[in-house]
Amino acid sequence: MLRIENLHVRAAEREILKGLDLEVPAGEVHAIMGPNGSGKSTLAQVLAGREDYQVTAGSVKLDGLELLGLAPEERARAGVFLAFQYPIEIPGVNNAYLLKAALNAQRQARGEQAIDAFEFMKLIKTKMELMEIPKDFLTRSVNQGFSGGEKKRNEILQLLLLEPRLAVLDETDSGLDVDALKIVANGVNSLRDPERSMLLVTHYERLLELIVPDRVHVLAGGRIVKSGPRELARELDARGYDWVLAEARGG
Amino acid sequence: MTAATLEREIAARQQRLGDAEPWRAAALGDFAAAGLPTPRRENWRYTNLQPLAASAFEWAPPEPDRAAIAAAAGLLEQSPLLRSAARIVLVDGHPVAALSTPPARGIEVRSLRDHWQSFEQRYSARLRAAEHPLAALNTALVGQGIWLRIGADVRTEESLHLVLISSDKTAVASQPRTLLEVGAGASATVVQHLLDLGDPAGWINGVTQIDLAAESTLSLFRLQQHGSRQTHTALLSADLAANAALAVGYVDLGGRLIRNDVDVRLREPGAAAEIFGVFLAAHGQHVDEHTRIDHLARETRSDEAFRGIIGERGRGVFNGKVVVHRDAQRIDARQSSDNLLLGDHAEIDTKPELEIYADDVKCSHGSTVGELDAEQLFYLRSRGVADAVARAILTQAFAASVLERIRAADVREHALALVGASLGRLAAGSAS
Repeated sequence: MLRIENLHVRAAEREILKGLDLEVPAGEVHAIMGPNGSGKSTLAQVLAGREDYQVTAGSVKLDGLELLGLAPEERARAGVFLAFQYPIEIPGVNNAYLLKAALNAQRQARGEQAIDAFEFMKLIKTKMELMEIPKDFLTRSVNQGFSGGEKKRNEILQLLLLEPRLAVLDETDSGLDVDALKIVANGVNSLRDPERSMLLVTHYERLLELIVPDRVHVLAGGRIVKSGPRELARELDARGYDWVLAEARGG
Repeated sequence: MTAATLEREIAARQQRLGDAEPWRAAALGDFAAAGLPTPRRENWRYTNLQPLAASAFEWAPPEPDRAAIAAAAGLLEQSPLLRSAARIVLVDGHPVAALSTPPARGIEVRSLRDHWQSFEQRYSARLRAAEHPLAALNTALVGQGIWLRIGADVRTEESLHLVLISSDKTAVASQPRTLLEVGAGASATVVQHLLDLGDPAGWINGVTQIDLAAESTLSLFRLQQHGSRQTHTALLSADLAANAALAVGYVDLGGRLIRNDVDVRLREPGAAAEIFGVFLAAHGQHVDEHTRIDHLARETRSDEAFRGIIGERGRGVFNGKVVVHRDAQRIDARQSSDNLLLGDHAEIDTKPELEIYADDVKCSHGSTVGELDAEQLFYLRSRGVADAVARAILTQAFAASVLERIRAADVREHALALVGASLGRLAAGSAS
């Protein structure tokens, strides 16, 4: 499970997260919602180990292991996966190469042998079918020339392949049409597992109709100001955030 | 044979030469008058050859002995590409028949020695010593050379490999000369390999001249894998007739001091040249790429792309000159120079030079100097790829995007593998 305590994060001279507490038990899917600029994406990036942010206090533990201070690759090997809001294009590196390198890095960390080409193809083929990704994808450069929807599906494909302990999905629904959203949701739902925690960072309630969360949290002003069951997402969708913020200010 | 400095050697040769080879005497005189290029010449601002003047070299390298030929054979055997390829092998400038394969049908391989007169008239006279003093030096001291003639309409599928091997004798100065003549409508791929036995500290001063007849096509790829002490100065000079197409791809991985000059003249309408290269420089290596493309006729095209990877204490230079002459209308010229600086005290000077005397032209150029992309690096690391491995992957990808222009798949794969291995050594901390 993921346990975040009193997390303070700065970027340049601005404090973005100001004492954030959050727990996502194993087997649960939690959603983080909140107004623009509340720190949602910062939280996602900090969990993955982005070095542009300065963590000034707090603790982030995954299954008891302190993640703060670990390099991004060490976190990935400990089971953290971030699906990027804006997946990066890497011309000259093809998808098959990246997927194999990522998978083998994890296998190596677990003391397993590198996957052979045949086994890899078998593994990736069914996952590509689930995500409705065409065959020529493997030989194409990572995310280069992909549409917004293709990039997001590629993120979920990597998620399916790496089977992390903690999946953080940063605005995975943004820029997706209804069909692509369904494909992405199917992929994510297929990974729900008693051993896995998932954190969905999103603006929109529509994703949460397809990936139904166990808890919904509102992040505002650098803290979780309200938490509730899935119905909270619908209420936020209908009423906006002002009432939550007023409630938080009033104590 | 004893080693001598350049100045002494030139003086001695001027005394020795009779009237038998007047063109040699003329070239010697031209070179003596011009001298080694100094940084005072604009074209040589960043590259100083003066330390060569103080060094003693063996100017007439002896034929390779059995040990050298055996070592060269071993080198060929190690290379999956060269092991069973059509090839011409030279050791210290001497063709080695035992290591070479007979030429394919339609390809004639001559020795310059047997055709001095036509060589002089058709080739050596074309290079002006004032412009290219090192080419005059090459002409003055050249040994046998290789003269390849590809007959009209001969279209070869298989690449021909020219393997130039330097032996491990210390301080040999060799003057390889290659002439590539491609007949009308013919098509060929030639790959030059520059290899060393051991880690010699010599000086290779090469000249390659290319003559493409109308509608002919030549791809010339050069894979330079010298050891860490070698100096290599090279001029490639090409003339293209109507609708001829030339592709030149350079991969520079080794050597201490590398200076390449590429001069291409698009003489007749429809001629097109693609020039690209990848160079690595680190740990005291100095690599200087100077190109010049002359658009002399209408509807000619040039497309140039160089990528430099400069590691710790590496020095790179790129200068790309494009001259569009009067009446060369409706031409298209593109140029890019992209460079990665990967360590402390890494330095690159990159400069496009456009001279345009026609009005209906499309010219573009761009150059970048930067580090690895932080976003790409984070993305790979967030997938569990170690920092050093992620850097190697991205650096290799940077080179690969230019090497993809090598159309011969086996050569392309070989070049990618060589770059990968060199990047590994670059990261590990030693040159070549």
